[in-house]
Amino acid sequence: METKPATDKEKNTGKKRNFFEWFKYKWSNEPLFSTAIALVVMVILQTLVLGFDYDSVGSWFQAWTNNWINILRNNAGVAIVALGMTLVIMTGGIDLAVGSTLVATGAFTMVLLDTGNRGLLGIMGMTGIPAFIVTILLVMALGYLLGSLIGVTITKGKVPPFIATLGAMMIFRSVTQHFMQGYNTTVPTEFLQIASFKIGNVMIMPIIYWAVIAYILYYVSKRTTFGRQIIAVGSNERAARLSGVNVNKVKLRVYALMGLLVSIAAIIQVSRIGSMDFSNAGRGMEMDAIAAAVVGGTSMSGGRGFIMGTVYGMLIIAVMNNLLNLFGVPPFLREAFKGFIVICAVLLQKKQQDS
Amino acid sequence: MAWQSYSLSFNQRCGSDFMIIEMKNIKKSFGSNNVLKDVSLSMKGGEICALLGENGAGKSTLMNILGGVHQMDSGSIIVDEKQVEFNTPVDSQKTGIAFIHQELNLINDLPIYENMFLGRELKTKRGSLDLEKMFDETEKMFKRMNVDLDPNKMVRELDSSYKQIVEICRAMMTDASIIIMDEPTTSLTDQEIERVFNMMKTLKNHNVGIIFISHKLNEVMTICDRYLVLRDGNLVAEGAISDVTTKDLARFMVGHDVRTEPLLREKKLGEEILRVEGLTYKHNFKDIHFSIRAGEILGVTGLLGDGRSELFQSIFGADGISSGKIYLNGKQVKISSTTEAISKGIAYLPRNRKENAIIKDMNIRENASIVTWPKFSNRGIINTQKHEETFDEHRKVLHLKMGKMTDNITSLSGGNQQKVVLAKWLAAEPKLLILDNPTQGVDVGAKEDIYDIILKLAAEKIAVVVLSSEAHEIIRVCDRTLVMYHGVIQGEVSGEEMNEHNIMSLATGGQLT
Repeated sequence: METKPATDKEKNTGKKRNFFEWFKYKWSNEPLFSTAIALVVMVILQTLVLGFDYDSVGSWFQAWTNNWINILRNNAGVAIVALGMTLVIMTGGIDLAVGSTLVATGAFTMVLLDTGNRGLLGIMGMTGIPAFIVTILLVMALGYLLGSLIGVTITKGKVPPFIATLGAMMIFRSVTQHFMQGYNTTVPTEFLQIASFKIGNVMIMPIIYWAVIAYILYYVSKRTTFGRQIIAVGSNERAARLSGVNVNKVKLRVYALMGLLVSIAAIIQVSRIGSMDFSNAGRGMEMDAIAAAVVGGTSMSGGRGFIMGTVYGMLIIAVMNNLLNLFGVPPFLREAFKGFIVICAVLLQKKQQDS
Repeated sequence: MAWQSYSLSFNQRCGSDFMIIEMKNIKKSFGSNNVLKDVSLSMKGGEICALLGENGAGKSTLMNILGGVHQMDSGSIIVDEKQVEFNTPVDSQKTGIAFIHQELNLINDLPIYENMFLGRELKTKRGSLDLEKMFDETEKMFKRMNVDLDPNKMVRELDSSYKQIVEICRAMMTDASIIIMDEPTTSLTDQEIERVFNMMKTLKNHNVGIIFISHKLNEVMTICDRYLVLRDGNLVAEGAISDVTTKDLARFMVGHDVRTEPLLREKKLGEEILRVEGLTYKHNFKDIHFSIRAGEILGVTGLLGDGRSELFQSIFGADGISSGKIYLNGKQVKISSTTEAISKGIAYLPRNRKENAIIKDMNIRENASIVTWPKFSNRGIINTQKHEETFDEHRKVLHLKMGKMTDNITSLSGGNQQKVVLAKWLAAEPKLLILDNPTQGVDVGAKEDIYDIILKLAAEKIAVVVLSSEAHEIIRVCDRTLVMYHGVIQGEVSGEEMNEHNIMSLATGGQLT
């Protein structure tokens, strides 16, 4: 009796009798399969819409790749945040403060590096590469600190994550805006190289950062004590605690990591644009990050989540935006499509889980 | 109001031989498990009748049939001299039977008077709630029942006894003639119990019949008129309370012939592993003293609300401790988290596997290794191979039946899930293993496997604590048993003294004789 489900599965996986059965098995048993299929379908659609109206295969490929590099680069920042958000949601929490943390850490970058005469490091006589390295480290430390603050509020203060991060969202942005009044800041042009350094004449750095971070987090979530404890805490907090998992420590570290990732996104954004609009940058970022995670199969109630799923989810949303652009859908309507995709994705996952 | 719906006049119902309810030849089985084998009972109005029996004797099934929750396989129910058939709880309520469950059905954030009319709210002609009328009716009912409560109060502000009373009054609103009370006093203080008993006396004067399910024999002696004892699905004894003592009742519940041979042999015990002195935490337990030595199997038993799980969860660092000392290997320790407890060699297998032990989003291997992740990892990176080897070793010993290690934990049966949880604690190589209801929801074969493991661990000089509500299980595996009653250790039994009579008598608040 007990072993029956297992043998059934083995029957299905071991010998794929035909494509349809294999597909059906994958569809209902592998959580990321449907997401990947959706992504493939969208990419095919996008390719078709782009058309083949080019002189040669070479120039078609050139245009296709350029389009893709644009998509990836434009989404790298929020994509990195979405990866952290996935871990946060996997613990059963949420972080609404990512946009404001982005602004706060971005502002700190400016304060340190301002090209006017007010840059802190400049005043201390530090310029060039050493100044950049110190800046990056300090900004990441600030991100980690802000994340930890949120984490402490949630774990020690027992404030629900939604409330704690809602509060932090308002505080961080408001404080930043107040202190950054009148700062008309720009960072040194050399700093822009962080994002716009070209490899083979392509601006590819943000994509590389995204890929590296995605790989590291994928590995962390699959293979490390910390990563697996995240799932344990999100799936059954009580059982995790009774198994000796330090639940508070896990949660605290997840929010701190989230802050750290946001600060990296902030550095990328500042170095791409050279400045930051403190009242608008990062607004709605939390929702985009949550959307990517959810489309990628992460469950809002915790315990279930996939780093790779979030990468797919981000790509699906990005490709869809690109498609809407190509189709010439009016800008105000685009959000509606995003909402539609998110709801569809969850409906699809519910169906799979029920079957 | 609904008073007219009485089918019989008050005088008729008061007649001395009039049975307000009769259940005849009730049989019920779940699958191959015969829970009720031909049970018949009857009761009169104005009578408080105790329904007694061990866990699994069939009490709740019988009452669920009367409450319309379950349907009987055969038999008949006669209410007010009319044969009735209950398909849903509503059918049962309509004939005047009210079932007050242990978990009360009140909405904390509504005032009392709205709770009284939950689901059958009074409306004005325009369709809005007629709050005034509901308030007045509640007030009238409270006056009739001698209840001193303000109907405007929020249910949240009431203590458990008043919540019970509100539920009873609500039942009376629907003209209940029989009230079933399922262990109403387990979570109450003495003073609150007094309050509920007074309420029951008032009901008695209103000629309502009460079926009182309780494990507390002293209470049964004080409040009840008659007793009915179920054992293994049979009605084994009934009669007037005035003719019996608590000891008689305990004997009826357990029966003479139930005796499982203890599995233990003579053995040598090692050093003292754990000693606690004067341990107290809130109302959960108070002034607990005991010790356990290496290789010893200590049983801790009691009935619902005895505080044994809370006690050992506190020792494991999952809850707090208000006062008292814990000594491990002779040294005083402070354990403030489960992580710390594990590093000190304590393992705790919790009760209620689904809520407390199983992580359903993880596969079998991970569920079996969560405790040892930190131990078998190199700079935070989990050594999967090491886990698989350890798990392989334990699953053979445990006779664990499963498919692949990467199958989801929920693909296993309850018994095998429990073995996975046990395997995870074995991997931690504890010196003190606390097993809370280790055979809960586990079939007979798996139970024996678990007993074997317990004995084997003790032979390896591990101190094992077995918490269980089943006395025969305790007798079977344990060297010595502490019996708890309402957060205190009521007594300790070992050897010949460790029998079901003594355990039952201590667990119901009595003394050894």
